Amino acid sequence: MSALGHYLEEEGIATVAISLIRPQTEKTKPPRALWVPFELGRPFGPPSDPAFQKRVILAALQVLEREKGPVLIEDFPDDAPRGRPDPAWHPPFIPAGVAAGSDGSLAARLVAEIVLLRDAHQRWVAQHGRTTVGLSGLPISECARYVADWLRGTAPASPREGFSAPLMLRFAVDDVKAYCLEAAAAGIAKPSSRQLGDWFWNETAAGATIHALREACLSSEDERLKLIAGNFMVPAARVRGSG
Amino acid sequence: MARLTDLPPAAAKRYAELECPKFKTTPWVNGPRLAERRVAIVSSAGLVVGGEKPFRGRAANYRVIPSETRPEQLMFSHISINLDRSGFQEDWNVVFPLDRLREVAAEGVIGSVAATHYSFMGATDPVQMEGYAREVASRLKGDGVDAVLLSPV
Repeated sequence: MSALGHYLEEEGIATVAISLIRPQTEKTKPPRALWVPFELGRPFGPPSDPAFQKRVILAALQVLEREKGPVLIEDFPDDAPRGRPDPAWHPPFIPAGVAAGSDGSLAARLVAEIVLLRDAHQRWVAQHGRTTVGLSGLPISECARYVADWLRGTAPASPREGFSAPLMLRFAVDDVKAYCLEAAAAGIAKPSSRQLGDWFWNETAAGATIHALREACLSSEDERLKLIAGNFMVPAARVRGSG
Repeated sequence: MARLTDLPPAAAKRYAELECPKFKTTPWVNGPRLAERRVAIVSSAGLVVGGEKPFRGRAANYRVIPSETRPEQLMFSHISINLDRSGFQEDWNVVFPLDRLREVAAEGVIGSVAATHYSFMGATDPVQMEGYAREVASRLKGDGVDAVLLSPV
C-alpha cells in the first residue's frame, strides 16, 4: 500500500496511507501514513461503529494538510473497542461433537451443517442486506458438496469454466467460511473476530473439514493443490500444532 | 491488535522481516485546502464488483469501483487468509469507507468524492504493480482527483 502511495505521488497525486504494520511502513517510507492499532483486515476499525470510523478517516485526511514531509507517519491513539469478546454472543446450534469422525462422515456432516445454518444465515442477510458469499459463483449448497467431495477423495472436476479445480476449491472453501461466519454473527450481539474464529475452527464440521482437507491436499502430487492447501485454507494461527 | 507483539510469533517475525521496496525518490505533492480536495479510495483488499472474476493469485492489475457501487455488490478476494474478514462482512466501511467519505464531503470537510475508486491485490509484489499504479494515477487525474486515501488490509 505504501508503495502505491509512492507511485501515485510521483504522478502528482497526494496520498495518505493507512498503516496496519508500522515496521513495514517505516521501511517503505510512503509520503504520508496514519498507523492504526487495529487487527489485520480492519483498516478503519470496528464494523457498525460509524463514529469511530469517522474519527479514523478524519485523522487520516488531516495528515494531508501537514506541511512537514515527505515521510510522515502519525499514530492513531485508540484501540478498536470491538477487539474485546462479547459475553452476550452465543453461536448458532449445531450438534455436539460434530468436529469428530472419519473423512466420509465429516464430509456428510459439513453438507448437513450448511443446511442447519440456513435460518441463521437468512437472518444475517435480512439484518445486513448483503452477503459476502459468492467468490465461487456457486450456490452455498453446491460449494459444500464440492468441498465435501474433495474430502472424500474424489477430486471433482471444476464446475466453472475458466477456473481450475484447485482454484475452485479455494473459492469454495472461502465461501463456506464466509457463510458460517455470517450465520454465526446474526443477531444483536457483537462477537469479536476471535470468538467467531474459535467457534468456526474448533467446533464446526466446516472447520474440521477444512483442517482435514488441508492435511490431505498437502500429501498430493499436484503442486497447485499443495500450494493452495498450505497457504489458503487454514490461517497460520489456526494450523494444528502451530501453538 | 496489529502491533507485532499482538500477532502469533511466527507471523510477527514474517511481517517484521518482509522485504519491502526501496525507492530512490521521496515524492511529496502539496494541494489545496482539504475542503477543496476531491478524494478517491484505493484499496489493496482485492475488492471486485459483483459479476467480475475475483483476483487470481498475486495478480498485479487493478479493478474499478464506481462510486455508485452498493455494499451488496462488493466482494473481497484478497488471497491472504491471515486477516479478518468478519469486519468487512458486517460493514464494508471497515475496508472501503465510502459512506464515511460521503459524510465528510456532505459536511464540507473535503470538497467531493471521486466518481471512481480502485482496488489492487495487496499480496502482490508492489514493484509489479508500478505500471498499473501509474495508469490508475492517469485515470484519477482525469476525474479531477487530487487526494487518495490508501486502504490496506
